[in-house]
Amino acid sequence: MRVLLIDDEEDFRNLLSRYIRGQWADAEIEPYDPLERELPDAAFPLRSYDVIILDYMLGRGDGLEWLKSLKQREDCPKILFLTGAGNEIIAVRAMKAGADDYQRKQELTRERLITSIRDLTATEVERTVSPDLAARMEGHSLGAKVRIPGIKVLHLIGEGGTARVYLASREDDDEPLVVKILRQEIVLNKKAMERFMEEYAMVERIQSRHVARIVGHGNYQNNFYLVMEFFEGGDLSKRLGGKPVPPAEALQFFRELMFALGDIHEKGILHRDLKPQNLMFRRDGSLAIVDFGIAKNIAAADRTGAGEVLGTPRYMSPEQVQGRALDLRTDIYSAGVLLYQMLTGKHLFDGETAMEVAMHHLNTVPPPLPEHLAQYEGLVDKLVEKDREARFRNADEVIGFLARKFEQQPAAVIDKTLQLH
Amino acid sequence: MSADDYKVTVAKDIADLIPVFMKNRHKELDALRVALAAADFEQLRQLGHRMKGVGNSYGFARVSTIGKYIEDGARSGDRAALQASISEYGDYLSKVQIAYE
Repeated sequence: MRVLLIDDEEDFRNLLSRYIRGQWADAEIEPYDPLERELPDAAFPLRSYDVIILDYMLGRGDGLEWLKSLKQREDCPKILFLTGAGNEIIAVRAMKAGADDYQRKQELTRERLITSIRDLTATEVERTVSPDLAARMEGHSLGAKVRIPGIKVLHLIGEGGTARVYLASREDDDEPLVVKILRQEIVLNKKAMERFMEEYAMVERIQSRHVARIVGHGNYQNNFYLVMEFFEGGDLSKRLGGKPVPPAEALQFFRELMFALGDIHEKGILHRDLKPQNLMFRRDGSLAIVDFGIAKNIAAADRTGAGEVLGTPRYMSPEQVQGRALDLRTDIYSAGVLLYQMLTGKHLFDGETAMEVAMHHLNTVPPPLPEHLAQYEGLVDKLVEKDREARFRNADEVIGFLARKFEQQPAAVIDKTLQLH
Repeated sequence: MSADDYKVTVAKDIADLIPVFMKNRHKELDALRVALAAADFEQLRQLGHRMKGVGNSYGFARVSTIGKYIEDGARSGDRAALQASISEYGDYLSKVQIAYE
């Protein structure tokens, strides 16, 4: 394995070299410092490398220009392009310019780097033998095949149980978008398919800045897809990273979540699966709810079978665990569990199994907040009341409570805390 | 900052890279001070950007955070904010405690 590593930061080159050698001990890595060397010229033996890792900001010069130039050569190997986090338009342009993969530099872990290089350099045999690799390759080739008017599907960025997720862009202006392509097992499952179509219809109907914007949907050769906005700020799970967020920030996120719930509840929709992975941030910091896959239109027939429990056990309301009829207060409870996690960095309840966690929601008194968070105890307690009759009735009631209890704090204090992240 | 903010945990297998990493951070601090004295905002922006990129990769999240402040401050030409961030960086580098696991 020979790798050409083009980055202006010595420490970053050292780190990536270490990661690569940790995986492929005999790898030959050529560090290439663009502050000291010009763009490789025509005599430079590109063909002798298996992969090039290229940073988007080269200290002097633009990584995208280097990418375009290198990709014009017939002997150019696969290129892994490193982009800045929160600037997906660079990723879009890189993929359009011929990059074979991209990674957000600030989030590049050892595992992501190795996976990416392995995908780029795998032989045909390896692609067939490794189930993980074969699945990703299948995902890549599906993305390359699907045609959506006005949209270019660029790169597989995630795989979920129901759909594969791709970075895409609007052809007119390169605006980054996400395309979700349903897995065939879902397409063939009538009930799951109905859920998906219901999700689309519901989200389209909501029209709120607190809900993911749907750009379109359709079917290409029996591949059902949904096109939606791209969230450059990632999800709440990433923001938390297993740690608490400063209380003022947690309260700000929670307030946004309440506005979102207010909007969807007003349309008669229960989300029923609030969790950190379903709360996304835009570049401007605003929050939106995604994944209405198990949401329910209060007025519509429930597709949940008798006794069927849907949701994520960590965030389920007691009535959800019991499989009872649900109302707005189930989402209020889940939001309370999320607030607890944001404030403390811990789950409200832990357990060895999903069932154990679910049973805690039903039977166990929530642990108190640490002393320094005592001022939020009343709020959290009323959100996660097991008896829904004692809980806040709706998002408006919570917003009113927040205004009365917490908004008399000087704005400067809140602003300062928010700047910390 | 609390005492915990100065604690960093680094993977053992990159422990030998840390002396060079720290040496480069101190050189970076000097370069930031020089750039601020010269009001070279483009240089400050680039240095901040590089800090942002490299800090998290080694587990030094604070380096990335301060790098972002410096990049933002350089973009807006806010000398006071830059001064404060560079001071904070100096304080951080003098107190950071590294554990290997």
